[in-house]
Amino acid sequence: MKKLSGARIVIETLIQEKVKVIFGYPGGAVLPIYDELFKQKKIRHILVRHEQAAVHAAEGYARSTGKVGVVLVTSGPGATNTVTGLTDAMMDSIPVVCISGQVPTHMIGNDAFQEADIVGITRPCTKHNYLVKDISKLASCIHSAFHIARNGRPGPVLVDIPKDIQTFKSTYNGKKLTKSISFYKPILKPPIEQISKFVDLLKSSKKPIFYIGGGVINSGLGASKSLNTLLKVTGFPCTQTLMGLGATPTSDNQFVGMLGMHGTYEANLSMNKSDLMICVGARFDDRITGKVSGFSPHSKKVHMDIDASSFNKSVNVDLLIQGDLSKILDMTIKFIKDKKITFKSKSISDWWNQINKWRSKDCLSYKNSKTVIKPQYALQRLDTLTKKLNPFITTEVGQHQMWAAQFLTFNKPKHWMTSGGLGTMGYGLPAAMGVQIAHPDGLVIDVAGEASILMNIQEMSTIKQYRLPVKIFILNNHYMGMVRQWQELLHGNRLSESYMDSLPDFVKLAESFGATGLRVIKPGEVDDLIKEMIKIKGPVICDIVVDPKENCFPMIPSGSSHDQMLLGPNDKLEGEISEEGMVLV
Amino acid sequence: MTESHSKHILSIMVDNEPGVLARVVGLFSGRGYNIESLSVSEVDSDKFLSRVTIVTSGTKNIIDQIKAQLLKLIPVHNLIDISELKTFIGKELILIKLDVKKKSVSKIYKHVKDYGAKILFDNRTEMIIEFSGTPSEISSMIKKLRSFNIIELTRSGLVSIALGKDYIKK
Ligand SMILES: Cc1cc2nc3c(=O)[nH]c(=O)nc-3n(C[C@H](O)[C@H](O)[C@H](O)COP(=O)(O)OP(=O)(O)OC[C@H]3O[C@@H](n4cnc5c(N)ncnc54)[C@H](O)[C@@H]3O)c2cc1C
Ligand SMILES: Cc1ncc(C[n+]2csc(CCOP(=O)(O)OP(=O)(O)O)c2C)c(N)n1
Ligand SMILES: [Mg+2]
Repeated sequence: MKKLSGARIVIETLIQEKVKVIFGYPGGAVLPIYDELFKQKKIRHILVRHEQAAVHAAEGYARSTGKVGVVLVTSGPGATNTVTGLTDAMMDSIPVVCISGQVPTHMIGNDAFQEADIVGITRPCTKHNYLVKDISKLASCIHSAFHIARNGRPGPVLVDIPKDIQTFKSTYNGKKLTKSISFYKPILKPPIEQISKFVDLLKSSKKPIFYIGGGVINSGLGASKSLNTLLKVTGFPCTQTLMGLGATPTSDNQFVGMLGMHGTYEANLSMNKSDLMICVGARFDDRITGKVSGFSPHSKKVHMDIDASSFNKSVNVDLLIQGDLSKILDMTIKFIKDKKITFKSKSISDWWNQINKWRSKDCLSYKNSKTVIKPQYALQRLDTLTKKLNPFITTEVGQHQMWAAQFLTFNKPKHWMTSGGLGTMGYGLPAAMGVQIAHPDGLVIDVAGEASILMNIQEMSTIKQYRLPVKIFILNNHYMGMVRQWQELLHGNRLSESYMDSLPDFVKLAESFGATGLRVIKPGEVDDLIKEMIKIKGPVICDIVVDPKENCFPMIPSGSSHDQMLLGPNDKLEGEISEEGMVLV
Repeated sequence: MTESHSKHILSIMVDNEPGVLARVVGLFSGRGYNIESLSVSEVDSDKFLSRVTIVTSGTKNIIDQIKAQLLKLIPVHNLIDISELKTFIGKELILIKLDVKKKSVSKIYKHVKDYGAKILFDNRTEMIIEFSGTPSEISSMIKKLRSFNIIELTRSGLVSIALGKDYIKK
């Protein structure tokens, strides 16, 4: 058997894992791997301009395809630059494998040049990580990393490879013959008794609500399909989390809008007043529950999740079903069919009447203007004019992100990429690059804020190099709008450091990177801008100058519960926000 | 919520690999759980398995969360909550060094005998006593010896085993 260098083994294992693209940035500690990359043609390397962006690009690639995103960086600063990206992937359950170079094994611990204990640093922000100190274990570490990243609750895995390991030689006989060093086997199928109990609850409920989360997207298209069937069979209303948007079509009449802090009135009240809540791959995040004691106080709660640590973490539930959603939902549909169970729409007609009353409040309505562009209006127009093209939407973090969630239509899973758990400004642009690499002909739009976009703006250079036709849709309100909104509400309108002074000229900025820049300031110009943006084959930065003072509603102020929602600028807080609420994020 | 806190003894089987203890301990510190006692050593040198015993306390929800989080760690093979099993034994080892230059040792010998402890070393200037017992026996032993001149002492942390079958085997 021929012996291969560690660097070559890295490439061979990646090929065996069917990796087509990696996002990376070279440096001293990974030069042997870059040398091997140079000598082959099967894997495409995308040179980003900052390692954080490499991870977000890999996340966008992963979220839009269901495959593992792969990152390659050097030791020290290259590795530490990935920490935000890895934490982001950890929080949002995105499968990523990050390979980092390390100083040679005999120098580890010596404060060597560009040495960082990246395995120590990333221990809490990866699903698992490896430091490969033995060339004979290199291949199995990499295969295990992929296995762990994609199975169970997905997440990031880091493999740290010292430079001497990259040059040492060893045999490699392919994935099948490589002994995996991990015995990781998540539970995928629940016992049928649980399904039977679940269906009993479905049958007896008068006020049910499906609370759908990102786990459905993680589980794959099969889960989305089965869930949609279950929705149709039962006729029950559903709401989705920020991470779950698109799990089932949001244009469907059974969808009552996103729930949570910036969710719709009808979604939050349906949760609050329901007698049966069916949590499908969501994790009772604090953005959803608000004050836990006031969270859906009268409902029986069912929770389906693959990760046992999601159960009873913040909210106690009545029926736990552990497993992969595609399996759980499949079993449920089959059970209902086999037992010939039917659901009568009459039994929940009062509930629908109630929900429709809440709906008629039209909580997302806003006061449009003829002179300034309302951000909501710009997004509504974007939705109308691009819906048919099934765009992939990424976002940055802030008000624009919430408005995008509220005003855009998501009829397909894996078309919505946003940083939910960590809320990482600067996520959207690199994520859009990753999506565009995976879907070269797709329309990929980053809905951005003018503050967030500057956090990874260097990636315009990557976009230029690979001719990625990413569209950047900046809702430019000249403020860190989300911060300003909280300052208005909670800090006596003292706008400390939230004004965005000295912004670049985004049109010129686009042009300097060989992209097209478009700017509009009047509502009447928005449609033309969007049409132009779609027509242009290359990358476009749209600078939509919007109302600087618009706020995002509905809003459940921190520390409040679902029935204490602010619906618009004229809604005042009932009394002061409690001290308890003030300390919440 | 004013749920009651209770003490739990968790026995965890892990791969004996570098960093595994850091993962376990990091999980406790990172998530704000407390560790009252910790002991760890390899128990199977063929399979490279170590057994970790952690004494912790919390509400039922917190304890369940600790267990679920521990089981998520890749090198963790299995875990049992020994304190939830019917009959179990929990023991700790203590080594105590006494200055015996001035005092008469006859009383010390009596205590050692009463407790079933062992004298490992005695040269009339210093004495080292070994004792294994339940944490409360150990505390009472320390109390008894406090009137003598304790130079230093060290405790192993609790190890525990339940009666019956091999519970931790998967
Ligand atoms: C500024 C800002 C405001 C926000 N406001 C809101 C808001 O108003 N409303 C809102 O909803 N969110 C909001 N968020 C997002 C929020 O912070 C959380 O990220 C989000 O609510 C979590 O979504 P999720 O519960 O669907 O969980 P995810 O993080 O998507 O977790 C998925 C769950 O599914 C499980 N799972 C994964 N794979 C599988 C599988 N194959 N089978 C079964 N289970 C699986 C996982 O174990 C996990 O428990 C906001 C974020 C930001 C940055
Ligand atoms: C990296 C990072 N730093 C700080 C924050 C806190 N933060 C959340 S939203 C926001 C303002 C975002 O401003 P902008 O991108 O202009 O979006 P807008 O809210 O105005 O739509 C800030 C600073 C964050 N989420 N991420
Ligand atoms: Mg802004």
